[in-house]
Amino acid sequence: MPEIQIDAVINGRKIRRATRPHLRLIDFLRDDLNLTGTKEGCGAGECGTCSVFVDGVLMKSCLMPVAKAQGATIETIESLGRTGELSVMQQAFHKAGASQCGYCIPGMVMAATAALRANPFADREEIKERLGGNICRCTGYQKIFDAVEMARDLNNGRLSSEAFAEIDDGEGKYIGRNIRRIDAPSKVSGALKYAGDMVMPGMLHVQVLRSPHAHARIVSIDTSAAEAMDGVAGVITCDDVPGEDGFGVFVHDQPIMARGKVRYVGEAVAAVAAEDLVTARRALDAIEVVYEPLPAVFDAHEALKPGAPVIHDYAPDNITKHIPIRVGDVEKGFAQSDLVLEETYTTQAIEHAYLEPEAGLAYVDHDGVVTVISPDQNITHHRHMLAKIIAKPISKVRFIMSPVGGGFGGKEDMIYQGMLALLAMKTHRPVRLVFTREESIATTAKRHPSTTTLRIGVTRDGRIQAVTFKMICDGGAYGLSTEGVMRKAAILGAGPYNIPNLRMDTIGVYTNNTPSGAFRSFGALQSQFATESHLDMIAETLGFDPFEIRRVNMMRDGARTHTKQVLKSVSLGRVLDAAERGCGWDKGPPNQRGATRSDLGRDDVRPAVALGARFGAAPAREAAE
Amino acid sequence: MLLCDHYITPATLDEAFDAMDAYRGRYRIVAGATDTLPWARQGRAGDVHYPALIDISRIPEMKARKVTATQALIGAGTPIQRFMDDPALARALPSMPRCAVWFADDQIRELATIGGNLVNASPAADSVPCLLVQDAAVELVARRDGRIVRRKVRLDDFMTGPGRTCLAEGELLLAIECAALPGYGGAFEKVGHRRSLVISVVCLAAVVKLDPEGRAIEDVRMAIAGVRPVPCRLREVEAFLRGKPLTADRIEEAAHLQSDLVQSRSRQDYRRDVIPKFIVRSLINATRRAGAHPSALNASLEAAYA
Repeated sequence: MPEIQIDAVINGRKIRRATRPHLRLIDFLRDDLNLTGTKEGCGAGECGTCSVFVDGVLMKSCLMPVAKAQGATIETIESLGRTGELSVMQQAFHKAGASQCGYCIPGMVMAATAALRANPFADREEIKERLGGNICRCTGYQKIFDAVEMARDLNNGRLSSEAFAEIDDGEGKYIGRNIRRIDAPSKVSGALKYAGDMVMPGMLHVQVLRSPHAHARIVSIDTSAAEAMDGVAGVITCDDVPGEDGFGVFVHDQPIMARGKVRYVGEAVAAVAAEDLVTARRALDAIEVVYEPLPAVFDAHEALKPGAPVIHDYAPDNITKHIPIRVGDVEKGFAQSDLVLEETYTTQAIEHAYLEPEAGLAYVDHDGVVTVISPDQNITHHRHMLAKIIAKPISKVRFIMSPVGGGFGGKEDMIYQGMLALLAMKTHRPVRLVFTREESIATTAKRHPSTTTLRIGVTRDGRIQAVTFKMICDGGAYGLSTEGVMRKAAILGAGPYNIPNLRMDTIGVYTNNTPSGAFRSFGALQSQFATESHLDMIAETLGFDPFEIRRVNMMRDGARTHTKQVLKSVSLGRVLDAAERGCGWDKGPPNQRGATRSDLGRDDVRPAVALGARFGAAPAREAAE
Repeated sequence: MLLCDHYITPATLDEAFDAMDAYRGRYRIVAGATDTLPWARQGRAGDVHYPALIDISRIPEMKARKVTATQALIGAGTPIQRFMDDPALARALPSMPRCAVWFADDQIRELATIGGNLVNASPAADSVPCLLVQDAAVELVARRDGRIVRRKVRLDDFMTGPGRTCLAEGELLLAIECAALPGYGGAFEKVGHRRSLVISVVCLAAVVKLDPEGRAIEDVRMAIAGVRPVPCRLREVEAFLRGKPLTADRIEEAAHLQSDLVQSRSRQDYRRDVIPKFIVRSLINATRRAGAHPSALNASLEAAYA
């Protein structure tokens, strides 16, 4: 392949480099120049983790062919400041606590810098508008906007450098104040290396062949053509697993790569390690897999019916886990009730969408220790599982947790680390796999979709007499965290309320959908969505204020939960008081509210989404543009 | 992943046609490349390999910009951001700055070109309604028998369906010509799943010229995208309003004249719901910017559509 020559000024230094013509600017910066402060979060211009200045104009380097940089002057995050000598914007991000996982932060700092270069006096609405191309998944953005305003005010003299220095300056004091993250300087400067930023001498690039079928028997896999390709160092399938193949948080039902059959679209079937990414991708095309499609099931209720396709032989009823809880006598409780309300609630799968796609690096060290570096939320458990899978003593397996560029539970499963270990063992070279955003979305765990049928009986005074709660969750093709999610849903789903009679069932079900797994709140979100919605509807029917119906039923100090846990202190009363004050609630049932609403138009309530702040008109005066 | 053996950046139209001849049938034209790179990914085209990518963004004619009192000539390679920050363009095409602020994001607008948005021919292309209200035409260029040949096509006729245009093999979109409409007030309404970086579910452009008192509509032009295979003008609404007094009643009546427009494959009811509201809201915004008399539209109408 002919190379192209790039002459450019990058971070103040003239460079002249020959490179491959198909590269994007981001590839050139990261792979050729090792400027890894510029991150790749999506590769499609959606997220802004790759923002750089090109001739003074902020652009997304994943959308720019490197040839366009010919003759250009480029500034990356590395030009703004270094750890220990941060720019004003970087210091403000540090002070404001604007960096959490840090993966969006280099791009965010660049966008913030661009916003103030465009308008040094930009107000918060204009700052929001100008940062619109950059996504953060941790902060909720408010601290980022705080940081930009802080930098603006410092630059303009509205905030003195003394006052700036004093922000958060409370040497030795920790309780009752915000503490700056010790890793923030490395994040705001782009110096911190995530797994996808790490390279090792002689490192190979890994790509994964994935199933196009939701449910199919694997008749044969022929990797010979791929293995014969120039630049391919190794190909693995389930046949390369030397030990007991199976992982999962609770039940070890998932092989490192599909064994005998595939159970969802995107399941790993084979993996290739090659000298470069393009060769690895081409080698995937050379692997021949013959599938025999099997009937598939995509709905948890269908999967529970007799005669439904069986996903795992060990679970002929397709039930991953059923948690039943019984308290008192629900029939008696309903008989005592003045109102019995039944509804069904559904929630959908949700992707975690951390800004850092999965990535990992593995090697076998000089002592024969198989080492895996990845943003892994559960390294100790994974280390134990991997030792069995690769048939090594635990002392020969090491997991190193790289900085996690957002996890939210989505990086708790060992879905790719096993492949990396096997390829490092097979090729005797370091190997690295970096997921694309599409791969991350298509193949990693989601929040459990749920259907909850809820029946609550109450007396006229609002007191709950009985609850039956049945939640069916689509766990997808493998167990992952489903069992734990069902347990938490059963423990927390009925809410912090005194319930004398309760029948609770949470059921995780196998289907041929993308596996469901851990996600912030771990089953409580789905179940409490049902319970809290139900309480609002009961409040409406009985003419209760929604805060009041909760106060009537809430647990207090010393309460005993339906799982027999005694709660020494319960803060729900204070939480309800604070929420009622904070939201400006007008007392009364939700369906009997007055013509005026005191929760709108207040100074502490954010205005509706608007664009056009930079045209100079206050957004509220424009008709909601 | 987008792969190529050669990335060619011609400096002139002739060099571009030389490259297109040399790689006939084996090249892809790129300008901003902001749609091409995401297209060559899993879930869309997947890995794509071209012997040659021909980047036409450095050809001087592509970057031309000339605005007179009555006409605007805009090179196809003009980045979308220029419609916001070039005052001459913003005056001549009054709905375009409002469109541009909703278009992708600040960073992509610096790369993405107006020509790219047209040749993509998305039914939801944001810039198209804004150009339709300017009575735009496109200038297409080819080289036949060694001679550069140009032809002009009305924008209405240029797009022939979703992703389809009348651009012939070996032909390039060179420029957009349109009426300059200084003194008109412009508005652009858009709804999608979020604020930045979103494809329109419905978008609508409006430009309005009022009489000196700001009480009568001398001229009005509106166009809509996202509801049919190809964006189109709202000519019945325009005719109903043109030359008439600016009143709340008339605007609300106009809003429902073309409710049968929706031919989308999905969310038809939602789109039918949006259209009349966008018509009213765009007219409120455009007439205000055109200098409407403060009492022309009553406050309750403005509040209802805020």
